[in-house]
Amino acid sequence: MSTHTNETTGAEATTRHTADPGHGTEAQQSRAATRGAWLQVARREVLVKLTDKGFLISTVVTVLLIGAVLAIQGFMQNRTSTFDVVTTDSTAAAMVDRIADRAPDIDDKVAVKAGTEADAAAARVAVQDEKADAWLQRTDSGWTLVTKDTADSDLSTVVSTVVRETALADNASKAGTTMAALQAGTTVTAQQLDGNAERSGLVTALGFIFAILFYLASIMFGMTLASSVVEEKQSRIVEMIAAAIPLRQLLAGKIIGNTVLAFGQMALYVGVGLVGMSFTDYGKYVAGLSGSIGWFLAFFLVGFVALACLWAVAGALASRTEDIQSTSMPITMLMMLMYFGALFLDGTARAIGSFIPPVSSILMPMRVLAGEVSWWEPALALLLLVAFAVGLILVSERIYRRALLQTGGKLSVKDAWRTQE
Amino acid sequence: MGNGPSVGAMLEIKGLTRRFGDKTAVDHVSFPVPDGGLTGFVGGNGAGKTTTMRMVMGVLQAHDGEVLWDGRPITAAQRRRIGYMPEERGLYPKQAIADQLVYLATLRGMDPGAARAAVMEHLERFGLAERAKDRVEKLSLGNQQRVQIIAALVPQPDALILDEPFSGLDPTAVESMAGLLREHTSRGVPVLFSSHQLDLVDRLCDRLVIMAQGKVVTQGTAEELRAGGPVRYELVTAGDAGWVRDLPGIHVADVDGRTALLEVVESGAEQRVLEQALRRGPVEEFRRVVPRLSEIYQEATS
Repeated sequence: MSTHTNETTGAEATTRHTADPGHGTEAQQSRAATRGAWLQVARREVLVKLTDKGFLISTVVTVLLIGAVLAIQGFMQNRTSTFDVVTTDSTAAAMVDRIADRAPDIDDKVAVKAGTEADAAAARVAVQDEKADAWLQRTDSGWTLVTKDTADSDLSTVVSTVVRETALADNASKAGTTMAALQAGTTVTAQQLDGNAERSGLVTALGFIFAILFYLASIMFGMTLASSVVEEKQSRIVEMIAAAIPLRQLLAGKIIGNTVLAFGQMALYVGVGLVGMSFTDYGKYVAGLSGSIGWFLAFFLVGFVALACLWAVAGALASRTEDIQSTSMPITMLMMLMYFGALFLDGTARAIGSFIPPVSSILMPMRVLAGEVSWWEPALALLLLVAFAVGLILVSERIYRRALLQTGGKLSVKDAWRTQE
Repeated sequence: MGNGPSVGAMLEIKGLTRRFGDKTAVDHVSFPVPDGGLTGFVGGNGAGKTTTMRMVMGVLQAHDGEVLWDGRPITAAQRRRIGYMPEERGLYPKQAIADQLVYLATLRGMDPGAARAAVMEHLERFGLAERAKDRVEKLSLGNQQRVQIIAALVPQPDALILDEPFSGLDPTAVESMAGLLREHTSRGVPVLFSSHQLDLVDRLCDRLVIMAQGKVVTQGTAEELRAGGPVRYELVTAGDAGWVRDLPGIHVADVDGRTALLEVVESGAEQRVLEQALRRGPVEEFRRVVPRLSEIYQEATS
């Protein structure tokens, strides 16, 4: 008779009379009886959110947005633009024909179609009326590309490249030499030791996306958590809950429930993003990113839990929903600091910051992604973050427990810490 | 049963004390809540009833004293089996009634399936079955109160602690609430409830605990409390009753023409008064005056 405290409705009534002294201490018994309570609380948190239309709609919209952005990206990358270029004389027409031939070699997204107009006035009208995209014209000193407004930069590049090549070749033969001889030793080839330019750009962009995702998820789910804490406090249902289970279990359940939701949503977004990305030109980098994304999710999980405790405290200190704005001020400040720290810290400051919790939860994954660190660095930073989270949980739990049953207005952290249960 | 209380009370409160700063809100309060009985908890605002009940439920920590269940300090597991209705009512405003009642029952250790069945049965009984999927905020205050009491009753509680269960109820609802409480006392469950409505408490309760300024001023069954009060007789004679003033063994509380109100100081003196009165002429009325609870209350708390 030392292990069980199963609570079956009927049996309890009869066994309670015969409870023997070897039944374990009061604390052991209570712990056994309420051990699984956090699971019920977490389950409710998740269910309430999953049946909330607003939450579902915003999640679906975000997934669609990610898909749309990536689809547009892929479409833009593969689209070929065709430009109508008109001329008024045979010299220019020959040049445009040459441009049309060379265009695919210079830029595979540019195609040029040649056309003719009777005279300069007609050509000007054609461009003005947008029947033609440009009018190429020979002048005394060179060539002029006439467009209605700013010329498409891809078209200008193609046109000027071909014109320059042709003119240089002409000038070379007049001087009795060749293009190849003239150009010998003039090429500069860019060589990047780490990865390549395209990948660097992608890494920078993804780093910012990580930072923004963490920031948004923490704020959104943090606010949800704080308002559900104050909802329980304001509606006084917390007194019935407190009579049934230890408040520690309530806090654990709420934090776990919201973490599951936030983490699930994040994993969904990241997953959709990666799948979408594999259909674009960046697809070849997806496999190489999986390690960084794993670290990002790990830091997200621990960092989110640490901040969630603070949000729960913000909720417990408030006594009405309206108070959350002011009780959560320190956390929103901290989040801004973390976010801007991640964006603007550089060099040594960035390296140091990536170990300091809670800033590390954003900075370290960014550094991992950028390939700046050895394997032990994120591991150490994660360990420090876990230690920080544990400390924060212990402190928050005490404040939460004490503040939750105080209904006489907004509390300060100091008052809540000192108040008696 | 060990050192359990003598009156057959599973639940006993012993020396509970709670201070808020310098103020002692509850000062060594002790009383049993007998099994199968309705115990009324009476006292003015700030007398310490709610604080006492919150300490019994473990929501508030006691600075001294203990709550005993079956003669031993109560455990959290046993507390979970007590149905509790706090003074400040509250439920999740935006969740369906049935869902949150099931949730609260599972927090108290009930299996979700059994909880749903029990919740539906209670909703049926209170005529709220069709509203099971409604949000609490859509219910009238009376119906919200019903949902609140269901929350306390669902896992077939071992005891009930109800803070002002009758406040805000209309007379019909008061009757059905009273019937419901009796149903639970008849299965042997101790019930403690607080109330301001003295007449109601007088009519319903098996036992009374009267609190004032954090202390229990008097407690016992209604008969015991009345017995503790002054024994009074009212005498109505055909002629003037002024003569009673001269009799020994009694204290004359009031004489008004033919009517006199006598307080018995020496037991048996009332019989001599009656003999005298019959000798003097016809006696129209001679009866024991049972003090009303409000009088006992006034006296105890003044």
